[in-house]
Amino acid sequence: MSECDFMRENMPLLLTESLDPARRELTHQHIERCAACSDEWAGYRETWQFLGALPEVEVPAHVKTQFLANVEPPLRRLAPAESRRHVTRWLAQAAAVVLVASGAFYAGHRSKPIELKEQPASLNSYSIAESRVLPARLVSPNIEGRPDIENVSFVDSNPSDPDIGLSFDITSHVTVTGRPTDKSMVRLLRYVLENKNRAASPSRSRAIDWVRTLYSRPENAEPEIAEALANVLRNDSHEGVRIKAVETLNRMPGGASADTRGALIEALKSDPNPAVRIKAVEALANLARSGATFDSATLDTLRQKAVQGDENVYVRVKAAEALSSIHP
Amino acid sequence: MKHLSDQELMRIVQAGDFSPASEIYDRYSSRIYNFAYRFLKNSEAAEDATQEVFVKMLKHANQFHGDAKLSTWLFSITANWCRDYLRKADNKTKEAEDVLVTLPAPAELSPERTLEKRENERRIQKALTALTPEQREAILLSRFQGLSYAEIAQISGCSEGAVKTRVFRAMETLKKALGGEASGGERCLNAIS
Repeated sequence: MSECDFMRENMPLLLTESLDPARRELTHQHIERCAACSDEWAGYRETWQFLGALPEVEVPAHVKTQFLANVEPPLRRLAPAESRRHVTRWLAQAAAVVLVASGAFYAGHRSKPIELKEQPASLNSYSIAESRVLPARLVSPNIEGRPDIENVSFVDSNPSDPDIGLSFDITSHVTVTGRPTDKSMVRLLRYVLENKNRAASPSRSRAIDWVRTLYSRPENAEPEIAEALANVLRNDSHEGVRIKAVETLNRMPGGASADTRGALIEALKSDPNPAVRIKAVEALANLARSGATFDSATLDTLRQKAVQGDENVYVRVKAAEALSSIHP
Repeated sequence: MKHLSDQELMRIVQAGDFSPASEIYDRYSSRIYNFAYRFLKNSEAAEDATQEVFVKMLKHANQFHGDAKLSTWLFSITANWCRDYLRKADNKTKEAEDVLVTLPAPAELSPERTLEKRENERRIQKALTALTPEQREAILLSRFQGLSYAEIAQISGCSEGAVKTRVFRAMETLKKALGGEASGGERCLNAIS
């Protein structure tokens, strides 16, 4: 390693003032007499300084709320994740079919708090390792109560098999299998999408990814899924999830219902996040290009957005583009 | 609780009383969340990481030794969580989201400055994403969390020499990626001041 290479490796340490005095002095002396390293050093300093342009991101308040919800100070225990607490009649319906033997076991264990000192090895010690597979035809499409489901995953690995599967934890690990258009499957997916307090956001996000792949196929067109996405766009607190919802609505076959259009307009009007508003305006422009007709209120909203001085400049531009698509 | 040191708070937790949970969260959640967010470039995952890190802190409190810094221990848990997350094939494709979505435009900035600021953020985040996970971890902990190489080595489970190399390589890559902007860079630096 040349002297220059050695000195350059020290430069990041020089930036953090972490070099010992002797090496610091030596490195500075080298930089002063070596033009190449002097340039390198200037580059390091500028880059280091420029990295400071990365702003600090605020932690969403609900993260703390959810964290503290899992802590029960008076009991000095960590409660099982809140989402595990409720067992619903809907589960009971399913369990009655397949899980008769294990039902009593779960019922006896579901509300027991975790004793940390006794069970230090695993955060998931309340999970039941057993897994059950339920055909969708045996599960009622009417989900009763507000079951909490977690760790949602999707199974669609065999292209020759038209069935899909939806796996999740409720009190045990359950996989419901069936056709994408089976009412129970649609309702389950809708439930995952719409219930932000029940299914964790990555589950919702993954669900939308999956929905996009599956239900953008014309043969799987499902108005209920589009309705669910419209509700996600209206209600989800997570902007990443709302963006995915718009993108997916944009790809649903069969045109947009009045409800979908309404959700897009509401998002464009009042979503706090400019990226969501941009996606909404793009989706509206796509609808216009595909021949959808818009009522005067929708056109007014687009016009208003295109000229609204305090609106994000991207949204203004996109709104103008959307209008030009509607009125070529 | 606010007057107690980290070590004192952790001793209470280790005794089985979780009442300091909120105070510890307030002290470190922002750093944990920002590290995870910049590492994974995914706000949903960063939220999960933050929650789970603090749950693990309570659950495994007895593994914390009083002579260590709480921040180092928490970052160790966070870095492990993030590495596991990236290891899952499903999540690799999710890295590319969330750039403009997290920061509402500050009302006091002009649209041009807001755009410029966001563009700078986008460029830096893109450059960070181009690093290897090891380099990204090292530079985030060094540049943005102000940790020493010894602390980073402890978090990353490697030698200080390895940390030095990772930071150096990361800086080389970042300098190349951001160099055009940084060296002509007064415009950019002014934009954020």
